[in-house]
Formats: sequence, structure tokens, C-alpha cells
Amino acid sequence: MTAKSAPVPISPPVAAPPGVPAAPARPWRAARRRRRVTAIVIFAIMGVIVIVMLFPFWYMAENSFRNQSQFDQQAGHSLAGWTQLFKELPVVQELVSSTIVCAAAIALILVVATTAGFAFAKLRYRSSGLVFLLIVAAMMVPLQSIIIPEYVNLARFHLVSNYGGAVLVYAALGAPFATFLMATYYRGISDELIEAAVMDGLSYERTFLQIAIPLSLPAIATVTVLQFIQIWDDLLVGYLFLPTNERTITVGLAVLSSGRTTGIPPLMAGSLLSAIPAIVVYLIFQRYLIRGLTLGMGK
Amino acid sequence: MSVTADRPARPARRAGRSRLGRRRRRAGLLLSLPAILLVGALLWAPIGQAIRYSMTSWNGYSAPVWIGPSAYTAALKDPIVHRVLENNALLLLAVPVAIGLPLIIAALLNEHVRGWRFFRSAYFLPTAISWVVIGMVALQFFAANGILNRLLADIGLGSVHSDMLASEYSALAALALTFIWSMIGTNTIIFLTGMATLDPSLIEAARVDGLNRWQIFWRVTLPLLTRFIQFAFVITVISAFSALFSLIFVMTGGGPGLGTTTLEFFVYQAGFAQGQFGTGALYGIILFVIMIIVGIGQLRLIRHEDGGGW
Repeated sequence: MTAKSAPVPISPPVAAPPGVPAAPARPWRAARRRRRVTAIVIFAIMGVIVIVMLFPFWYMAENSFRNQSQFDQQAGHSLAGWTQLFKELPVVQELVSSTIVCAAAIALILVVATTAGFAFAKLRYRSSGLVFLLIVAAMMVPLQSIIIPEYVNLARFHLVSNYGGAVLVYAALGAPFATFLMATYYRGISDELIEAAVMDGLSYERTFLQIAIPLSLPAIATVTVLQFIQIWDDLLVGYLFLPTNERTITVGLAVLSSGRTTGIPPLMAGSLLSAIPAIVVYLIFQRYLIRGLTLGMGK
Repeated sequence: MSVTADRPARPARRAGRSRLGRRRRRAGLLLSLPAILLVGALLWAPIGQAIRYSMTSWNGYSAPVWIGPSAYTAALKDPIVHRVLENNALLLLAVPVAIGLPLIIAALLNEHVRGWRFFRSAYFLPTAISWVVIGMVALQFFAANGILNRLLADIGLGSVHSDMLASEYSALAALALTFIWSMIGTNTIIFLTGMATLDPSLIEAARVDGLNRWQIFWRVTLPLLTRFIQFAFVITVISAFSALFSLIFVMTGGGPGLGTTTLEFFVYQAGFAQGQFGTGALYGIILFVIMIIVGIGQLRLIRHEDGGGW
């Protein structure tokens, strides 16, 4: 509030000085002080926003180290939340499940997105432009719109009693944007480079493997980070397509929470535990994540 | 670009070129095949199936009974469907806030005061955690004996004590507030990226002309960000309509009553909780149509922009 109203009344004089050549020092110093005040006000506002944005992390951490009565009174700490979590939820097995599903789906996404991205960017064939458009447009298909036939199909192929179904669905959901991203990246590689490799006797497939892939590692990293967070954090696909004993940590937590019988501290411990891998990936690869997000806006 | 690159070599070795061209096209088809199969089989084909299912009455086990297009007219007259669509429409009210707040935050960050990089990272961090985790904390925030009520009591407003999740519209409001909080990181980054593309000399010129910060933001920065605001708008609407399943699942389970049942959650309830595959598919198709309209709107806006001389 104060930030919005503060600059308004003091601003006009900035443009005025030209008519007064005698005292140039004073308005200049005033302007600098004004700028300092503005900076402090902005800093304060941003500090308040940081509290709002990071509070949930603090809340999870603090309340995971409590038992239910300590939670109710919001006082005192213990390890109860964590010990109870490991008792009520097969945490380790769920973390393993999450890792397997993520790794398999990301591997599949990388295979189809790098090959197709390279093909659409460098090895164009008749109506490849239309095919590219159809693949990218699939981004707009909401999972909920197709989830029932998807379930029927996967059940028919016995893929909802193991990791297979969920991995395939995650891969299909991630593929359109990943293909778009890879194609955008490969367009930046010069045609001459590819043609030169082919003239040297490499097949197009080998050129892709030996030249294009090593050049596109940054884009591959972006896809990996983006998809990791997406899949690790997902509930719907894992909930419907994974058998109970192969649930991911996110699904396990949601189901436990919806039962409304588990105390809050273990749920907070579980939340924090499930969030840690994604937070670590975020902190290390923030750059790639942001690039992936903003690439969606480019052409 | 590729045309000019090809040109010098072409007349000299025409025969070799065309053989190479054939090899290239074949390699292209081969390399794009896995993606075509995956997306075709798991994203496009089910749309056709869903349309077919939507015109049947089917519980998933016994033989489906054909109803035909009248299934849609019946659904669109159903007061329950109206209530669910009303929830979706009400959620749209959160969109301007989910765009406006990040715009202001991005403008503040863009002043590059000390520590702005840290603030940027901190604001974006929630995008790394799942809707499930967000929902779990939000549940504690809005609960009857939760954080919000304790805060109110602390500042002497204990009498306002609220149980937002206990009644229909306030539960939807709680859901919308949580949604807005979750979108802040993504949208702020979008706007910040947009502001980084602006030509600083334009801002400088406006300042020399005597415009203050606030005027510069409204008259110079904002109009130049149109494309980014459109992008954020589409992302936000898509999220509001198709990414809130987990949040609803954890926070309210769609209730109380139908209070927080949006179309996407309705698909799950009809299809999986009640075993009505036909009806669930139908709601899914309605959702798809809404998404197409949003998507086409975006496409038209972009094309309009391109025509406007970029």
C-alpha cells in the first residue's frame, strides 16, 4: 500500500530542474534518497511475500517433529511424527516406486522426444509439419477427458496391475511438450553440420546419435528436470493406474490423508519427505526449469 | 533457412542429392515414429473412444447400452451438471488475481533491489512441490482450529472465527485462494521473463518524459507484456480446470455437497467412484470442448499479434 502511494506525489519535480541551473546538487541528492527509500520499501514488501511463500515449508518441518497432542497445543517437539510415519506408511517402498516410475517414464520421454524432435527439425518429410502440429496439439488434451478409455485400454492389456500403464501414460503426457522443446532446440543447430556428417558417410540415424544428442544435452536436462517434478508430484495417474503395493509416495500420502484417520504430524513428515527430492532437484537445476517454462512462450 | 543452405550444392550433384533426400525422409519418418505411436495411441485414440463411450450407458462390466447424442442434451439439462459448471465458472474469478498479484510481484522484483535473486528463487520454490503437499498444508491452514483462525485470534479478531471448509461457497473460496498461492511462482517467472525482454530505453524515455513509476508500469510496461499476459492467462485457466484434482481430493473430496466439485473432479467421481463410465466420459468431453475453446482463443490472439507487425 505505502509503496504504491509513496512515489506518486514526489515524482513530478524530477523533470523540473532544467530551468534552475544554480542548484543542481540538491534535487540530485533528494532523488537518490528517494530511490533508497523506495528500495527499502520494496525490500520490505518482498520480505513479507517470502514469509507467505515459504511458510508452508516451515510449517511442515516444525509440525513433523510433534506428536498429536503437541500439535493440538502447538507447543513442544518430539520425533513422534516421523516414527509414526514410518509405521503407518511403507515409505521406503513408495520412494522406490516413485523413483522407478519417474526413471522409466523419463527415459521413454527422452527417447521419443529427442528422435522426433530431431526428425521434425532436420529430417522433414511430406506432411511432417502436420504430424508435428498434431503431436504438439496433444498438449491441450486434458487427462480427465480421456482417462476412462485410457483405463479400459490399459486394463485390457494387463497394464494396470504393474508399473507399465502408469509409465506409458506419464510418457504420453510428457511427450508433446518435450518433443516441442527438443525440436525448437534442434532447429538452432546448423543444417551444414548435419549435412557434413552425412557427406562423411554417417547415416542420418548415426548423425543423430553421435552429433545431435551430445549437442542437445542442455535441452535434455531441461526436459528431465521438468518431467521429474511433474511425475514425482502427480496423483491422478498413479492413483488410478498403479496397484496398491506399487504406489508412489505422492499417491500414498494423498490416500493416507483422505482417510482422515492419521494424525497430522506424520502427514506433515510425509509431505516434507515427499517434497525433498523435488526441492533438491529444483535448487540444483533451477536454471533449466525456468528455461523450460519460458520456452513454452517462444515460437 | 534450410533452403538457402541447400542451394549451392544442388545443381552440381542432383542425383546424389535426391538419393540423400530419400534417405533423409526415410530416417525422418523412422525417428518420428515412436512419438507418433505413443501420442496417437495414448492421447488421440482415446478421444475417439471417449466420444463413443459418452453416448452410452455403461458401468464398465456389462455390455454398454447405446443412448446417442441425446445423452448430451440430457446432461446439459441436469441441475447437478449446472452446479458443477457453476463451480468452474466461479473458479475463473480467481484467474485475474492469479495474474494480477504475480504482475505486481514481478514488477517489484524487476526493480532489482538487493537480494532480488533470492526472492525470485523463494517465490518459485512452491512450484516444485506437489498439489497433494500444498493441499495438506492448506487443509491445516483453513481448518476450524487451524492456522488462519489462530492468526485471527492473535490479532484480536477471534470473533471472526471461520470454518471455511465446512460450507459450500467458502470451501470453494478456500480452494481458489490455495490455487492463487500456487500459481504465484509460475506466473511471476513468466512476467519476469517478459520484463527482461523489454527495451530499457523505452522505460528511460518515459521517465525523462516525467512519468512516475506507477504510470510507467501502466502505460509502458503493461501494454508491452500483452503476449506474456495472454500466455499466463491460458496456463492459469488450464490449471484451474484440469490441474486441481489433487487439491480437491486432499482438501475437500469435492464437498461439502457439490461445493468444490469441478468438472474434472466430476469425471473422476462419475467414472471411478460411481462406476458410470459413459457419464464420466461425457463430462470429460465437455471439459475437452472447453479446453479447445480456450486453446483456439489463445491461437487467435497469437496470430493477431503476429499480423500486428512483430
